[in-house]
Amino acid sequence: MTLTSGQIAAILPLLIPALGACLLPIAALDKDQGTVKWIRGAMFGISLLALAGAFLYLTRLWASGAQPSFGPLRMDRLAQFGGIFVTVAAALAVLQLWDHLHQEGWVKGETLSLLLFSVVGMMLFAASGHLLVLFLALELLSLPLYALTATVRLRALALEGGMKYFLTGAVASSFFLMGSVLLYGATGSLDLTVIGAGLSRSAQPDPLALAGAAMLLLGFLFKMSVVPFHQWTPDVYEAAPHPISGFMSVATKGVAALALMRVLATGLPALGPRFQSALAVLAALTLVLGNLTALAQTSLKRMLAYSSISHAGYLLLGFVAGTNAAYAGMLFYLLAYLAMNMGAFGLLSALGLVGAQDSLASLKGLGWKRPSLAIAASLCMFSLAGLPPMAGFYGKYMIFKELILQGHVPLAILGVLASLVSVYYYLSVPVALFLDKPSGQEQREACERPPAQAPFAGATVLICGALVLALGLLPGTVLEGFARRAAQDALLHLP
Amino acid sequence: MNAHLLTFLVFAPLLWGLALMPLAQRQVQLAKLLGLLGASAILVIAAVQLLRLPSDPLGQICLERFPWFTAVGIPVDYHLAVDGLNLWLVLLTTFLVPLTMLGTWNSINERAGSAAALYLMLETGMLGALVAQDLLLFYLFWEAMLLPMYFLIGVWGGDERKYAATKFVLFTLSGSLLWLVALLYLAGKAGSFAPGVMAQVVPTLPWSVQAALFLAFALAFAIKVPLFPLHTWLPDAHTQAPTGGSVILAGVLLKLGSYGFLRFSLPMFADAFRHFSHLLAVLSVLAIIYGALVAMVQTDIKKLVAYSSVSHMGFIMLGVASMTVIGTQGAMLQMLSHGISTGALFLLVGMLYDRAHTRRITDFGGVALRMPVFTGFFLVVALSSIGLPLTNGFAGEFLILNGTFTSGFGWGRALACLATLGVLLSAVYMLWMFKRVFWGPANTQEDSGTAHLHDDLSMREVAVLVPIVVLIFWMGLHPQTFLAASDGQVGQLLAEVQR
Repeated sequence: MTLTSGQIAAILPLLIPALGACLLPIAALDKDQGTVKWIRGAMFGISLLALAGAFLYLTRLWASGAQPSFGPLRMDRLAQFGGIFVTVAAALAVLQLWDHLHQEGWVKGETLSLLLFSVVGMMLFAASGHLLVLFLALELLSLPLYALTATVRLRALALEGGMKYFLTGAVASSFFLMGSVLLYGATGSLDLTVIGAGLSRSAQPDPLALAGAAMLLLGFLFKMSVVPFHQWTPDVYEAAPHPISGFMSVATKGVAALALMRVLATGLPALGPRFQSALAVLAALTLVLGNLTALAQTSLKRMLAYSSISHAGYLLLGFVAGTNAAYAGMLFYLLAYLAMNMGAFGLLSALGLVGAQDSLASLKGLGWKRPSLAIAASLCMFSLAGLPPMAGFYGKYMIFKELILQGHVPLAILGVLASLVSVYYYLSVPVALFLDKPSGQEQREACERPPAQAPFAGATVLICGALVLALGLLPGTVLEGFARRAAQDALLHLP
Repeated sequence: MNAHLLTFLVFAPLLWGLALMPLAQRQVQLAKLLGLLGASAILVIAAVQLLRLPSDPLGQICLERFPWFTAVGIPVDYHLAVDGLNLWLVLLTTFLVPLTMLGTWNSINERAGSAAALYLMLETGMLGALVAQDLLLFYLFWEAMLLPMYFLIGVWGGDERKYAATKFVLFTLSGSLLWLVALLYLAGKAGSFAPGVMAQVVPTLPWSVQAALFLAFALAFAIKVPLFPLHTWLPDAHTQAPTGGSVILAGVLLKLGSYGFLRFSLPMFADAFRHFSHLLAVLSVLAIIYGALVAMVQTDIKKLVAYSSVSHMGFIMLGVASMTVIGTQGAMLQMLSHGISTGALFLLVGMLYDRAHTRRITDFGGVALRMPVFTGFFLVVALSSIGLPLTNGFAGEFLILNGTFTSGFGWGRALACLATLGVLLSAVYMLWMFKRVFWGPANTQEDSGTAHLHDDLSMREVAVLVPIVVLIFWMGLHPQTFLAASDGQVGQLLAEVQR
């Protein structure tokens, strides 16, 4: 069988990181990887090159406007958006991993290989219009993440987190599969467009199809960590290395939202109105629970985990609004979320906090020692809190506006009240960095720690801070040029 | 340069402040000096350029307007303008910032350079909010004021600074986030963020929606003013903030609340404003009396000034709620005069605190013997705050009371009488505090405040206070200078609302 150039174009963005992922274990076989710096450098270089290759190829596809497809794999604008989103997040994570793994003393090539495999899975997840391929992509993105959570396997906490993630994730995946099967039973196809056509033919939907769609949805909501499927999030984020937590919170949630957009818009438009009220309830629960629980956290990582739960709630509000403009707003939100959350998690690596040192107290007074880093991280925090003129404000603004235009004013009020609550805990980071003075005990401990050497992680935080500001100053350009086109071209038939 | 004068005035402080940031850590004195020079340059440019404008502009002068971005279908304009309502407030802001920096030159010992940079960034937020004519733009600048103030209170404040700073941010945000929902709702109905377009849409909405929208707007502005019973953040913020933060907070930030009522609530929600003006007036009178009574029992001089601020802001809101030209003009004048007098009081308290390291009234006594020049300045400012004739406080309060007395609603006269009681009470708390702190024999106890007062005001401090005293008498003797700008516009505004 010969491949046409269009088919190659569709699959190449997936092949490049996959090739990198296969090459890496060869380098990792070298028993000297722990001692020889250039081997480690080569491993990180290969992974960055693979990500850069995929990124450049996708941006060229985007610029040319081509939307190639290969069977059920559709590299349309939405998928290209997802690919660019994931590669950027992964590249930031790789840079942070270099510093973090050195601080942990656990530099292993397999970490990067797993990360790249997960990237391939995520790109496929955002690009597929076929339930079986979606399931394969879900597994391909999840399995490496289970292992990555436990990658520093000397720590009992890491193993526990990985196991917890695996068990809960397996249940969610099986729900996803069962949902696909039921939908197949109801419509006789696994292709989303055929399912969509089949479901909209009858006025009263098949209860079998309803149950199937609900189970399918559960798989997505688990990956987005929406309440009540969120229980794994804080434990897993706490257990995983900081950059991996950041990557999971951004990329997994992002592609799950992108794939859900595709599934809701092409596969289940007939059931959409029925799910809208359910999604509204879940969004409200997620906002309330995520934000209130985050208030009580003393560990920065657990706080960020609950914050990422609450951000899933804001994304769900976009699904409740359900218009094309709302989807464009969600895509913008995801871009902002990428910058601000990678910056927030990057702060931990950049300050050289390893192992269980992730309490807010360990940040005390560090802002005056590393001012530019701390300012960039604070900008990310303000953006997470949704304060203008940072990017996060515009993300919320676009979603809330669509929500209000669609008549869901009470939900919008709940949303802004939730973000008011969130201001309190996001401010605790700048408070610790700039306002608090460390106690004598803490100062002594800080002196005993070796000074943090984290140039790459520091640079990522600065980049994220700059991105948060840039997206906030030019919201219109990014929205029109990027987010809206991705939403419009892929989801043509939405209002 | 006139074409982009406002953009320059708004963003030059921000850029200057950002440029100072790298210097602030190492070259503290240089950063402070450059910050002061930058703020003074802004003042000179603003005064020279803006005072050349016609004295009674009926429309918006000196405006800049072009489309900025279209977010999900609703265009947002970059629309700045100076007109009668904000001309003097802009000048007050540019005046207070360099004055504050000079007045608190030695008050901040740690990281003073960063504080100078933050003052400049705060100036951008304040000026931007004052001149913004598009509601989303106004909202953005309104929120942009929060963070610099948060850090000013949080980093350089007193012992309870974290609590006070967080309370300040959460209170303000709780109002403004609900306001944002109302704003977006209205923008969705009107398809624009321009107040003029929204004002045409509002009367077509059902009454309950109009009322809810008005209340959402009013909540945000009333928290900023702060109107009784939403004032509880203010005393905490003032007591904990460093002197400069208090001056800017009292001088400009609070005014933005009452300015928001005049600029947006009144023309946009004419019916709802008329309906709720009784409530606003009653709350204002409550604020006047309550603030004065609580100020009376304070033991901390700064807290006393903070509560007096609640009382005086009540007067301004009473003038706004009277919906008469004379009352509104009084409110305009009182905004300026409160900015000058209360700002000066905070500066003076700061000067005393820098020397004595205490603000408790009972720690003082006989200060006049040790610091006669300081006492003279304090007396003038305190009397202007009370509202003695010939000073600025009298002119504003007289116009406000006059407006309330002649206003349309039935118990305007009763309210005016009650509010006049507030003037009396302000004399009581101010003069009583003055007597205990300044008169009498010197407090000679070793740990008392008076014992630490060795030198009177320096030339720098006199240089800060002289322009303030000049302005106090100028505004008291010839308020027309300051009222002329807004005269026509206030008349037009109220005529449209009464129609």
